[in-house]
Amino acid sequence: MPVARPLTLKQRHGQFLGSIAVAFAVVLLWQIVSGLLFVVPAPARTVAVLASNLTDPDYLVDARETALAVATAFVIGTLLGGLVGLVLGLVKPVRLATEPLIVALNGVPKIVLYPILLPIFQLGGSKIVMGVLFCLFPVLINVAAGVRHIPDVYWKLARSVQASWLQTLVHIILPAIRRPLLTGLRLAVSLAVVGVVLSEFFATRYGLGRVVLQTYGHGDYPEMVATILLLIVVSFTISMLLWRWEKKVQ
Amino acid sequence: MSEINLENVEVAFDTPAGTVVAVSGVTQRVPAQGFVSLVGPSGCGKSTLLSVIAGLTKATGGQVQVGGKVVNGPDRGIGVVFQEDSTLPWRTVLDNVRFALQVAGVDKEGQLERARWAIELVGLKGFADAYPSMLSGGMRQRVALARTLALEPGVVLMDEPFAALDQQTRIFLGAEVRSIWQRSAQTVLFVTHDISEAILLSEQVWVMSYRPGQIIDVIDVDLPAERDPSIVSSHAFNELHNRIWTSLQEESMRGFRQQEGAA
Repeated sequence: MPVARPLTLKQRHGQFLGSIAVAFAVVLLWQIVSGLLFVVPAPARTVAVLASNLTDPDYLVDARETALAVATAFVIGTLLGGLVGLVLGLVKPVRLATEPLIVALNGVPKIVLYPILLPIFQLGGSKIVMGVLFCLFPVLINVAAGVRHIPDVYWKLARSVQASWLQTLVHIILPAIRRPLLTGLRLAVSLAVVGVVLSEFFATRYGLGRVVLQTYGHGDYPEMVATILLLIVVSFTISMLLWRWEKKVQ
Repeated sequence: MSEINLENVEVAFDTPAGTVVAVSGVTQRVPAQGFVSLVGPSGCGKSTLLSVIAGLTKATGGQVQVGGKVVNGPDRGIGVVFQEDSTLPWRTVLDNVRFALQVAGVDKEGQLERARWAIELVGLKGFADAYPSMLSGGMRQRVALARTLALEPGVVLMDEPFAALDQQTRIFLGAEVRSIWQRSAQTVLFVTHDISEAILLSEQVWVMSYRPGQIIDVIDVDLPAERDPSIVSSHAFNELHNRIWTSLQEESMRGFRQQEGAA
């Protein structure tokens, strides 16, 4: 497994300055666009709206609903994806028999299933199921590939010291796939947000997706962009933290 | 006392091209506390035979006994040092070495105590908290050796453990393995394709033929117990080297031709 060379101090400084420059450029571009298009509020205005939203109890109900749905979808999706990925990685006949289908399923635009999910899982459950469908695959695919690439000698080592199945899982398999697993989790977070919010765009009682759609309907663009900003900032922050963790593991 | 008894051991594999007999009719004995090297051309089944003794591969015929017990699967009393780098990169040296003890259910205090002892034994004192990525290939093989020795197995099987290392490191590590063995009560079977290494380390050398792998020669190494690397220029060493080389040469050529023909 190739190990990324740790960056030198100079390179790290460069990366930090680069990130700041990109962030600055994005805000600047946003400012310019907001001057040209009236549907786009200025950055400062958007942040102000967001700040006041976050003290509004009704808004927090929506935010909590979405956060809970995303968290539930993420937990179920990664557990399910991890489990199936593990079986696929370990059992070659199962992998050979099901891999083409799974890859094809991943290519299906999952959101078209939403109307089918609604009568089964109701308004509250369907978006969680949609979130699960979105975040399941990156974990599954990364775990399966990770398990498949565990060096042979680790299996021989585990057998030679008579490690039990559980010991092999805990002490060999999970740490050996730590990198692809973290990559899968990082992707799963963003995709769980996508699945849940996308579902909320279509039909739901509470949730930030509904807020976005409603504010759009009312032509209340600062409200709308403020909510979109919140969604982006939160998923971006979580992804960044996971990414940094991924870089740090031995 | 753990002696290794091989009785008519045979290993055959089914491949798409038909059945390949890797090991055939091996009947040999490694005495308790003995040090035997197994040399042979590449692809001859040396590693397969070692794997059978370790209980990692099933023999299709015959029987292996270690310490009077029939080998039916892996056993913590039989330690293995692999050719590939088997250190776990997410664990420090100390945690790598205590891995086997942890799996064996030794309490934490005992794990640390025996791991520290084994680390010192292989000369890695001061590196306990280092990660394998910070160590050289030779040092990583020391970690693997320490992990095996920490369990204090009666039998240690080594599968070309130094094959990937440079010549100097190899000679140095070989001498240390021999010195550790001299101070222990362990029985060692050492697989190598390096004739000099085999002579320098062991009390007896077995020469294996190309497929089907059979032991075609058994040579006792009548050299002094304390072996300085300068011994390689002695007459006795050269005699042994020539004899093993003569047996091996034909087999290596045969194996080479068969592999070329198959390719």
